[in-house]
Amino acid sequence: MMADALDMVRICDLSEIGEEILKVSLEGHKPLGVTCLDGIYYVFPDTCPHANESLSKGWIEDGRVVCPVHFAEFELGNGAVHNGPSGCARLTFYECEARIDGLYARLTS
Amino acid sequence: MLDIARPFSDFTRYADADTERQVTRFLYAEARTLDREAYEEWLDRFIDKDIRYWMPDMETRRRDDRRGAFCYGEAAYFDDSWDELHVRVKRYNEPSAWADNPATRHAHLISNIEVFETDDPQLVAVCSAFTNVRNRNETDQDIIHGRREDVLRRHGDGFKLSRRRIFIVQNVLLSKNLNTFL
Amino acid sequence: MCEHDQCTSHAGQKPDMRPVYPKAGSYPHFAKLVDTQKAQVDRKVFHDQEIYEAELRQIFGRAWLFLAHESQIPEPGDFLRTYMGEDNVIVVRQRDRSVNAFLNSCPHRGNRVCMVDAGKKARGFICNYHGWSFGIDGGLRGTDGKVYDSDATFDKGSIGLTPVAQIASYKGLIFATFDPDAPSLEEFLGDFTWYLDVMLDNDEGGTEFIGGAIKSVIDCNWKFPAENFVGDILHAFWTHQSGAQAILGGGVDLGARYDELAFQASVYGHGIETNLDKVGNTRTLGYPELVDYVFSRQKAMADRLGEVRARMVGAVSSATVFPNFSFLPGQATFRVWHPRGPDKIELVVWTLVNKNMPEHIKELYRKGVMMTFSPAGVFEMDDGENWEYSTRVNQGFVTRQQPLHYALGVGTRDDSRDLPGIIHKGSLNDANQRLFYTRWAEFMRFDNWHDLQNGETAPPQRMAQRQAAE
Ligand code: FES
Ligand code: FES
Ligand SMILES: [Fe+2]
Repeated sequence: MMADALDMVRICDLSEIGEEILKVSLEGHKPLGVTCLDGIYYVFPDTCPHANESLSKGWIEDGRVVCPVHFAEFELGNGAVHNGPSGCARLTFYECEARIDGLYARLTS
Repeated sequence: MLDIARPFSDFTRYADADTERQVTRFLYAEARTLDREAYEEWLDRFIDKDIRYWMPDMETRRRDDRRGAFCYGEAAYFDDSWDELHVRVKRYNEPSAWADNPATRHAHLISNIEVFETDDPQLVAVCSAFTNVRNRNETDQDIIHGRREDVLRRHGDGFKLSRRRIFIVQNVLLSKNLNTFL
Repeated sequence: MCEHDQCTSHAGQKPDMRPVYPKAGSYPHFAKLVDTQKAQVDRKVFHDQEIYEAELRQIFGRAWLFLAHESQIPEPGDFLRTYMGEDNVIVVRQRDRSVNAFLNSCPHRGNRVCMVDAGKKARGFICNYHGWSFGIDGGLRGTDGKVYDSDATFDKGSIGLTPVAQIASYKGLIFATFDPDAPSLEEFLGDFTWYLDVMLDNDEGGTEFIGGAIKSVIDCNWKFPAENFVGDILHAFWTHQSGAQAILGGGVDLGARYDELAFQASVYGHGIETNLDKVGNTRTLGYPELVDYVFSRQKAMADRLGEVRARMVGAVSSATVFPNFSFLPGQATFRVWHPRGPDKIELVVWTLVNKNMPEHIKELYRKGVMMTFSPAGVFEMDDGENWEYSTRVNQGFVTRQQPLHYALGVGTRDDSRDLPGIIHKGSLNDANQRLFYTRWAEFMRFDNWHDLQNGETAPPQRMAQRQAAE
């Protein structure tokens, strides 16, 4: 338990996160997308699993991340793909946790 | 079922062979009457007074577009009651209907006829397909293909057309006019 | 190969993907085919392929062209596909609720990016060929596959669908032009807006198009229907005798006060002929309830538009906005004659109603247009063949050398009436058609908008201003 908690990385201030998709770039990590819906926070790779386009240029619709390029939709939380181009993999969601000093996530796969 | 805006649901009970033969003869006789441009006779013999005769414009839409290719209450070629059909027929009766004088040569070809029973013993549901060829003057030729969903009502020994939905396969009508009934 | 000078200096390094709006030229030899002195039009303008190409450049490449009614695309992402001349365009409502229009052609290999007629709430347009994806703002959002990721010359931000040069609305009607130098839409329409308001502004609630459109093909030159609507009520008596008989049980009626009231007005080639008879056109739709409805609104419309224009709303009347957008007041049909070569058009027809009209009145207008000015309609049915054969006969080499007569009503100019535009007395007149072709000749001759807006077809005030300046 303790060791796991130590793996958590601070992502950003909670105040920065809205209902849009925030792009966060951390030293040593690929860019991330961060959003909050109904009080729940979500952290995922900014890179669309289909063709590497940036998901933070997309939007949230009906509880899904929508890629702005070919409109693949990924369910918030489990990453299941809807309406995706063929071969589009699911989106990874990282375990995350809101703490007093910001949002933390475990950036393992 | 007489609601013009409603598509045929899946009819499963084919009508018996006699009914089917009667309906087939009805549709062929109707087509031959139209070929002769006998429009008054067409109204009298084949068209019920409560006729709804509808042919929507066919839009090209994405498969996931819920509106679909057509929508009742929007633009249409025909959305006629008996009175409106009668107005069109009156024009054909004028010698100055120039698009029909000299006469147009017609061939109304009917095929793919399927006849189904409905819950109302007075009514049968009929699906058919058509090819309509019109030729005028020297080389002017127009061809339209499509399908129809008809409801026929029993009248005495025979039938009359009480509802017709016409769906052509063209998006842009590839003709200058539609000087016939389909 | 490319018109931008950067291309030569940076040749081979990076493609220049900026939009190109073609420049106009000058075709005085084509302009001369319209002889205003003799009131004649040379038949070559209905036949010649080179003249047609010049029309695409000079007229359809520059004029404000009708695209859509605002009501067809109410929400962001709502779109429809139409043409400006032969150029296919997508018209789409933006997130800020403005409207923009783009050439429907992918900057990669040119494929169409939108195949459908219309749709709601599009997220963007993805090209079927290689999957390039464009936002509703026309910008390239991304491509299919990851191959461009490592390509240093690939500059996504500089690539997009080509927008029209200018886009604007007049009271619900959206127009656009491919010419960055064109004057504003209101300048282009000039005083003709006074006549457009008859249909667009006779009620405070504004207008809308009824859903859907009827499209058809006629093998005629686009100018025949355009000139027909700009001022040819003459043909109604002969061509449409059968339709009038079917609906009215009698002939077309221009009203008892024809001599006193009927006129033609023309502004920059746009024109309307009207008889001020209140309900003549509406009557031909065949539903007495519509006639009652128009009568019942006379007072309200007069309060809004004045007596003269209130009489125009339902009157026997027809109009064309140069070059190819026409309508029939009273019958409520609006249409575009898209050119398809010198001998073919694609016709698109809509029905315009006031938003505030009761539903059953809107429904009667919808059916009325269908019964009259639609391919199976009792009037339109007889128009097409006339225009087709007026076009086709000119395949005869000798035939097309023969003169055509456009001289009805020469000398009927009427400057006494307090009406905008160039006014001629009587609607049975070739005056608007002559001015339509004069405008056509101006577009052929002039390569700049100053000359275009100050020629013979300019409305009288403009001419007065010009003379004062000289
Ligand atoms: S890049 Fe996201 S769906 Fe294609
Ligand atoms: S032509 Fe459009 S993506 Fe290639
Ligand atoms: Fe006409």
